[in-house]
Amino acid sequence: MISRWRIGFVTAGTIVVLALGQAHAASGIKIGVAGPITGDQGAIGEQGKNGAIIAVEEWNAKGGVLGKKIEVVWGDDQHDPKQAVAVANKFLNEGVAGVIGHYNSSCSIPASTIYHGGKVVQISWGSTNPQFTERGLWNVFRTIGRDDQQGSVAAAFIAKKLKKTKVVVLHDKTTAGQGQADEVVKALEKHKIKPVYYGAITQGEKDYRPVLTAIKQKNPEALYYGGYYPEAILLTKQMRELGMKAVFVSSDGVWQQEYIDIAGKDAEGAYVTFTPDQTKIKEAQGIIKKHKERFGSEVGAYTVYSYAAANILIEAIAATKSTDSPKLAEHIRKTKWSTALGPIQFDKKGDVLVSPFVVWEVKDGKFVEVR
Amino acid sequence: MLLQQLVNGLTLGSVYALIALGYTMVYGIIELINFAHGEIYMLGAYMGIVAFSVLTTFHLTAPSSGATLFLMLLAAMLFCGACGVTVERLAYRPLRNAPRLSPLISALGVSIFLQNFVMLAQGPRDKGFPHLFIRGGIDFPGGRISSIQIFIMVTSVLMMVGLQLLVRRTKIGKAMRATAQDKQMATLVGIDVDRIISVTFLIGSALAAVAGVMVGMYYGLINFFIGYIAGIKAFTAAVLGGIGSIPGAMLGGLLLGLIEALGAGYISSEYKDVFAFAILVLVLVFRPSGLLGADISKRV
Repeated sequence: MISRWRIGFVTAGTIVVLALGQAHAASGIKIGVAGPITGDQGAIGEQGKNGAIIAVEEWNAKGGVLGKKIEVVWGDDQHDPKQAVAVANKFLNEGVAGVIGHYNSSCSIPASTIYHGGKVVQISWGSTNPQFTERGLWNVFRTIGRDDQQGSVAAAFIAKKLKKTKVVVLHDKTTAGQGQADEVVKALEKHKIKPVYYGAITQGEKDYRPVLTAIKQKNPEALYYGGYYPEAILLTKQMRELGMKAVFVSSDGVWQQEYIDIAGKDAEGAYVTFTPDQTKIKEAQGIIKKHKERFGSEVGAYTVYSYAAANILIEAIAATKSTDSPKLAEHIRKTKWSTALGPIQFDKKGDVLVSPFVVWEVKDGKFVEVR
Repeated sequence: MLLQQLVNGLTLGSVYALIALGYTMVYGIIELINFAHGEIYMLGAYMGIVAFSVLTTFHLTAPSSGATLFLMLLAAMLFCGACGVTVERLAYRPLRNAPRLSPLISALGVSIFLQNFVMLAQGPRDKGFPHLFIRGGIDFPGGRISSIQIFIMVTSVLMMVGLQLLVRRTKIGKAMRATAQDKQMATLVGIDVDRIISVTFLIGSALAAVAGVMVGMYYGLINFFIGYIAGIKAFTAAVLGGIGSIPGAMLGGLLLGLIEALGAGYISSEYKDVFAFAILVLVLVFRPSGLLGADISKRV
């Protein structure tokens, strides 16, 4: 009995200490930055992280916002929806003024419900699934485009440019991957193409030869994969190993140098839908240069997206002189933003009005925009 | 297509079997499900890359020669063997007489520790595995068997035959079987039980290391997380064959690989795990001790 009382005291004491610690730390303005910072998509998480770091450092060098320094609270969701919800609750407890993230649609969507309940603005830098903004939440925004836009670009490319009619559509059962695959199937229908095979693979596995062997029987001319680069690498390599000649077409989650580095020669001639070349955007030159100085490497696919998202949030705080979320959301929605991605304007749902996805090709070990 | 799927399934299955052996041997001897075993396999894959980089940067061997391959496997086996023995010494031996749940929790702890250690030391990103095999192989009507698939199957069979000989024909094998049957009696007849348990961990971990290196080459891509799924699949294989039974683990591994390949090829790749685990449930319902589980204690 005594020991139980003692545990009770210790717990109560700890809670008090933690609460004091929290009260003490609340001197700056906190923003949450979330994404798969570790885990199978750590490479992407790092890109989002770096973009946010640069944005916050720039603001803090100018003296912060509303006279206070900006503090970043990191949220590592490890590309795991359960973890994303935990991160979201942590952010609410920390009292963040807004959230930059998450990356994966499967994380952003469940987390957005928590942010909505806690009245916090969320700007995703990489979630492309339509459902993210389709549920009528006032607090969600994204700086990237949507999968229905992406899917129709991919389908038109397969049907009109490549002129392929025997198409296989695969996805990885994730919210984003399956969403993209379904959008492609829908868009292919408009070009009177019905996929000869539609199926899914399991993320995290390494052997896709069995399903590829089955697909090979259909003699496909093109294979569309909705998913991310780790599985895309394996699919590409194993397809070629089995002697399949089908063109590999995929989505923005594959636009990663790792895809080319690891898949090597097998990646040559693959196509990926992504946004236009960021290095050619005039407004992005600043962050591209800073990123090189700060981290010693080129910006990643999503760095500029998280940089733009962070800037929009902080500018909104500065302009409205408040951290009150409904006010921030209203301001974000009605303002014409000039960001590192160029001019951005949000529609009622929180989507960017113009999001031109284009097709990229892997050529000589690099992604090259297809004209 | 059937032949191709059989080749795919047998390759995958022999890898599962190699990992499953480690689970089953450890269970047979100390009745512990060693959840850290998948991580040992992952360490093997990483050690393969490390050995490859050392060998090629110092120009010790030609990059794609048999010597490189052999040394990579050897380095991984030695390293993982040592890791396995250390893990047993530090995390399981002090709990030998504790309730059965304690070493199980300890095993989970080791697994999380190793995963995170590798993530921090080697980075969370995927690592490409060096190409040692020429692309190609033997074409047959309806498919092809690649050189690496042949290599995986042959190596696995050699390893399994070697293990069987060791367990059945040598003194140390006899001591292992005796320890598995009755630890106390084994001590009474002069067997150093602690040493035998260490040897069991050494062998099981070395087999997992071989699997790790081979899988790394087969897929060309590894990360710190590969031990998790491989561990679960191999554990399933061990249970399917009858945990504690060495031939059971081999059979279970091959069966699981075949079920997955055929399920994915003929029915649906989305549901292939459902089939694999449905068969596991069926086997356990009708033969709770697994396919070959019953005869373990009878045969000595």
